[in-house]
Amino acid sequence: MARKPRTEMAFKSGDEMIFGTAKFPVTSKRGIKYGGGYVHPTVKPHPRPGSEKTKKTLMREYERMNFDALERMVVVGHPTLVVENEHVYQMTHTPDWGGDIAAQVARQMDDMLAKYGLKSAHTSTIADLRRPESVHMRTSDYLHEMMASFDACSKYSDHVSIESMGGKEVFDYALIRQDMAGILMGIGYLGSIDMEWCWNQIVDICKKNNCIPGGDTNCSEANTAMFMAGGLVSKDVPHVYAALARAISAARTMVAYECGATGPTKDCAYEDPIVKAMTGVPITTEGKTSACGHSDLASNLIAAVCDLWSNEAVEYHDMFGATTTSVFAEILGYDCAQFNCSIDLGLAKEMQTILVNSDAYRDSHSLILVPDNAWAIGNEIVKNTSKGFYTRARAGAMKAGSIILADTKFKLTAFEKEALEDAMKQMEALPEDEGNFLDMAMPKYKKLVPGFNPDSYGLK
Amino acid sequence: MKFLSDFSNIFKRYDLDTEVKKQEARKISDDPVLDAIGKFVVEGEAEDIEAPVKKALETKAPMDVINDGLVKGMNEVSRLWDEGVYFLPQVILAADAMNAGIALCEAKMGKAMDRKGKVVTHTAEGDIHDIGQVIANALLNAGGFEVINLGCDCPVDTVVATVKAEKPIMVTGTALMTTTMTAFPKICHQLEAAGIVIPFISGGGAVAEEWSTSFPLSIWGKEDGWSCGLAEDALAGMGWEDMRSKWNG
Repeated sequence: MARKPRTEMAFKSGDEMIFGTAKFPVTSKRGIKYGGGYVHPTVKPHPRPGSEKTKKTLMREYERMNFDALERMVVVGHPTLVVENEHVYQMTHTPDWGGDIAAQVARQMDDMLAKYGLKSAHTSTIADLRRPESVHMRTSDYLHEMMASFDACSKYSDHVSIESMGGKEVFDYALIRQDMAGILMGIGYLGSIDMEWCWNQIVDICKKNNCIPGGDTNCSEANTAMFMAGGLVSKDVPHVYAALARAISAARTMVAYECGATGPTKDCAYEDPIVKAMTGVPITTEGKTSACGHSDLASNLIAAVCDLWSNEAVEYHDMFGATTTSVFAEILGYDCAQFNCSIDLGLAKEMQTILVNSDAYRDSHSLILVPDNAWAIGNEIVKNTSKGFYTRARAGAMKAGSIILADTKFKLTAFEKEALEDAMKQMEALPEDEGNFLDMAMPKYKKLVPGFNPDSYGLK
Repeated sequence: MKFLSDFSNIFKRYDLDTEVKKQEARKISDDPVLDAIGKFVVEGEAEDIEAPVKKALETKAPMDVINDGLVKGMNEVSRLWDEGVYFLPQVILAADAMNAGIALCEAKMGKAMDRKGKVVTHTAEGDIHDIGQVIANALLNAGGFEVINLGCDCPVDTVVATVKAEKPIMVTGTALMTTTMTAFPKICHQLEAAGIVIPFISGGGAVAEEWSTSFPLSIWGKEDGWSCGLAEDALAGMGWEDMRSKWNG
């Protein structure tokens, strides 16, 4: 379907946003209503190294780790569970592997519904195998494998998602050089173009197979910035660059929803509070419970407006309490019970205040995801939608930077302050007009980034 | 929304407490031309460095420009990074500037400068997350090593064949996914079987120390900043077992 650019905010203010409630709820095959008033857990099991050796060994691994999580819901009395299986390379490279695993977990979920009344749902997240500088983004075998995998999985899964890779070649070059034009080009422009091209196809496949088109995430870029910024004493990338990349990624990730994706969104999209403010779709977020996969500084805050609560990915192993997937499904379910109690007690806004205060001033990346700030960034993005992908992304990033600089409670180190002021100067010096920006950026990055191929994006 | 006025009981900002004060770069050379070249490296000015390097090459030998201007500037960058003054982007930009200068010197010499030794780097087959490898490449290059960059999604056989052909002092593998890092022991076993006993550095987001040290030749590379130190040890002839003892465990 054709993309419908979003020019208005779905929520009227940041204060209107709360966990558990989306403007446009979505219901799964077995009756879980996302964004319909309550928060639901999403567990992400990950196979052990070596299990990918054959289709048989990998299917057995998924059978066990998915079942363990479902069973634990019944053991401790959690009413719902979403299981997300993020494809390992082999599951997308040979699409019938991913499809057969999706069919297998669908059977398990049907059994658990029939036997116990447990409502569960499955997300297949297709692996984007395209490395932009290595393959043609629109014609490579990897692209055909991805789309075949969407087709195979969407016949069985409740929803499908992806972590698309567009613009990563330019972004990687730019991030480690603190080059804002390159970050805007990589995420904001090339990433958006690639998403529009992919998501129009994904939504059509989902319609054909009666599957929910879930969402996308800028994991390959904004999360790279976040991980490289790392903890408080890391010395790789300034945290303010991670914050600016995150604001830019919101403009890019929204393209999926403009093309017809409905959520539930992809859990590792830390840009999703901004996306929810703009689009109103139910979002999945991950925070403290994803410490098994990676560390972040938005641990509780990132739950403030979530509709599903996830753990990123946990490798399948034994723990003292049970297997990892059982343990994390249990923890996620209890977190959701806490959120949902606060909703039914009429204390949701108080709960949200606690979550936000926990981390808002821990880091600049966290600060911009405070609901009011996320809404303000989203508002700048949608106001500039008609001016093109680049312009709206730049507007979002400028707003994020000004929020950080203007907040008198938030303290930046001298290095971070200098980095942010420099980034703002860089952005102010860039043209507002997309055409003028591209006149500068296209030849620059064709020269500087080996393997950047404009034809991969339908550009000259 | 209500916000606390004091967060000191909620979290501690170690970054503010431990921030290193900004330092000026030290003098690179008593020769004003070479000093200027070194400063362009320290400041990461890849475009602006070309004019002074060209000017220096009118009167100085290319290897003197490299060793006494460009490399000394990079050494100062390394010091500033080690002391926590510089972050990674400053180092990458400095490496870009140094490489731009070296390219001009090599053009003047009509051949590539001698490097300390070769290092083969790759990201595992099926894995396209190679930013860690890109950074390691830049640091190794800046450290004076010749990098044979095999890129991402690189098959086992390609790595083994390249090592046989290039005879490097060390190999590195990067992986973000646990299901792709399984290529590393395959590479190491094939190298051992061929009688090639050189250090293999296993690194990347998914790669843990316990796993990395579970097969011959492999040493866990915790972070990119270790790249040059590991390569220096390999260059000095330290065996993989001694390197594992030094860097891991």
